Amino acid sequence: MAELISKKFGKLEYQEDSVFLFPQGLPAFEDEKEFVPIENPDTAGLVYLQSAKTPELCFLALPAGAVDREYQLEVGRDDLAALGLDTHRQPLPGAEVLVLVLLCISADVPVTANLLAPVVVNLANRKAVQAVRSDSRYSPRHELRQEDAC
Amino acid sequence: MLVLRRRAGESIFLGDDIEIAVLEVNSQGAKLGIRAPRELVILRKELKVAAEQNRAAAVSPGLTEVTEIFRKIQKGS
Repeated sequence: MAELISKKFGKLEYQEDSVFLFPQGLPAFEDEKEFVPIENPDTAGLVYLQSAKTPELCFLALPAGAVDREYQLEVGRDDLAALGLDTHRQPLPGAEVLVLVLLCISADVPVTANLLAPVVVNLANRKAVQAVRSDSRYSPRHELRQEDAC
Repeated sequence: MLVLRRRAGESIFLGDDIEIAVLEVNSQGAKLGIRAPRELVILRKELKVAAEQNRAAAVSPGLTEVTEIFRKIQKGS
């Protein structure tokens, strides 16, 4: 077991093999390469992505399918290669990869989800990238409604 | 927005030291070449949007408030 300090959760123990490894970090957070996924019974379904090295940094995320049941994944070849996946086809969400969308949560404005840039995790090796789409099919600020977050 | 038509092999200048050349155009898109001072940051737009959105997403309220907001979404109130 390893240990980290989280501003949200305090001191936490975690299994090292549960860590999501971002070889390139995330846009604007290029030095953040390890995140620990945390679930909280009070907010079942919501995934907290806690940075292993920065206590203050904790993203909130939902599975893409919980926000948009029809969500079509589109991961570029460079990102597929970084994940260690076949670069000639799209991976299967749920079976090969976990697809999470990052949320913007604050008290006075609607919660939004970034469908433009989902976090994609290879379930076989825990490698992860934020797969920024180059099309404009999905919004980076998709507003969550009642039927979305289930 | 200024709109210019350029063919493959042609280029434009922004100021004196930034050159943007159209190298190739096909049904997949246009391949651009950019010559600019090294210190100039050049980003695909979607990466810039993703970076801004990540900075916003990195700021969230404490656990109690997150729980409250999340419950409200689930109830749809």
